[in-house]
Amino acid sequence: MSEIVQHYLPYIIIFNFTLVAVVLIVLGIVATHRKLEEVPDPIQNVAEFALEWFVRRARAIHPDGVTVIAPFLASLFLFILFSNLLAAVSFPIIRIPPTSYYGGTLTLALIAMFGTTFISAKFMGARGAIKHLFWPNPLQLVTKVSDTLSLSLRLFGNIGGEFLVVLLVVKAAPYGIPLVIHTLGLIPAFIQPLVFTLLTSNFLAEAVHTDKKKAEVDIQTSPPFSAVAEGKGAHGS
Amino acid sequence: MKEIFLVLVPTLTIVPTAIAAAFAMRKISYTAIEGMTRQPEVAPQLFTAMIVAMALVEALVIYCLVIALMVAAKI
Repeated sequence: MSEIVQHYLPYIIIFNFTLVAVVLIVLGIVATHRKLEEVPDPIQNVAEFALEWFVRRARAIHPDGVTVIAPFLASLFLFILFSNLLAAVSFPIIRIPPTSYYGGTLTLALIAMFGTTFISAKFMGARGAIKHLFWPNPLQLVTKVSDTLSLSLRLFGNIGGEFLVVLLVVKAAPYGIPLVIHTLGLIPAFIQPLVFTLLTSNFLAEAVHTDKKKAEVDIQTSPPFSAVAEGKGAHGS
Repeated sequence: MKEIFLVLVPTLTIVPTAIAAAFAMRKISYTAIEGMTRQPEVAPQLFTAMIVAMALVEALVIYCLVIALMVAAKI
């Protein structure tokens, strides 16, 4: 990286984040302002598949929270995915993925953790959300901080490390070989947003979880005691 | 002398960690794929669990990578 790029790196990161946001907004407008068909064409099919995945995860976390949780998870996923894919664009400034800079990933992890706390405050009340930070173990506050660190460091290490490797390889062998490294770099670019979203939804499920709901589910799914005693469990026969 | 240490320390930080993580990931993927072939109907859940477990292992390597980068930046 040249001196000038190094000097203006924070501004480039902000510019690239804004670019990703604008692209996503335009895509959203284009995707929703077309005639939706009963038999979906390929684009609508992909969009519905992605939406359904997030809706299913949100429903597993909290049955009433689909309208809040699914957009939160989906926007995190799409934002990180498109930020990572900027590395594949071969244009001088734009090709620096914002997630290869620690400030960018820390921002995303903070958004995820604060969003988790706010959503749990929405479902369990502010007192319930604050109680979750200290109860049953006061160290849960420390866990929150370390979770934020590990979320941000994981994303930064994967994407930033890949970007660094590409830069070093380009210096050593400018033609041919960087293409292979770039192609391999597309794998973490797809896996990491998935991991980020999965872990966020796990934290969310932990924070929103209520004992009463779990007890009801346990009663519904577990077989009655007499059936177990006679060797006719739920999976019996 | 100092330069030698500054080259050696990041290398010796990241290489053993990567080897250890490779063994851990081998165990995770081996077990997960075995479970998937045994019971294909739970394959999606196993795949999700495998990805999360691998991410947790990977995080340890990345802590070491960050330490190595911090040391390397001092050259």
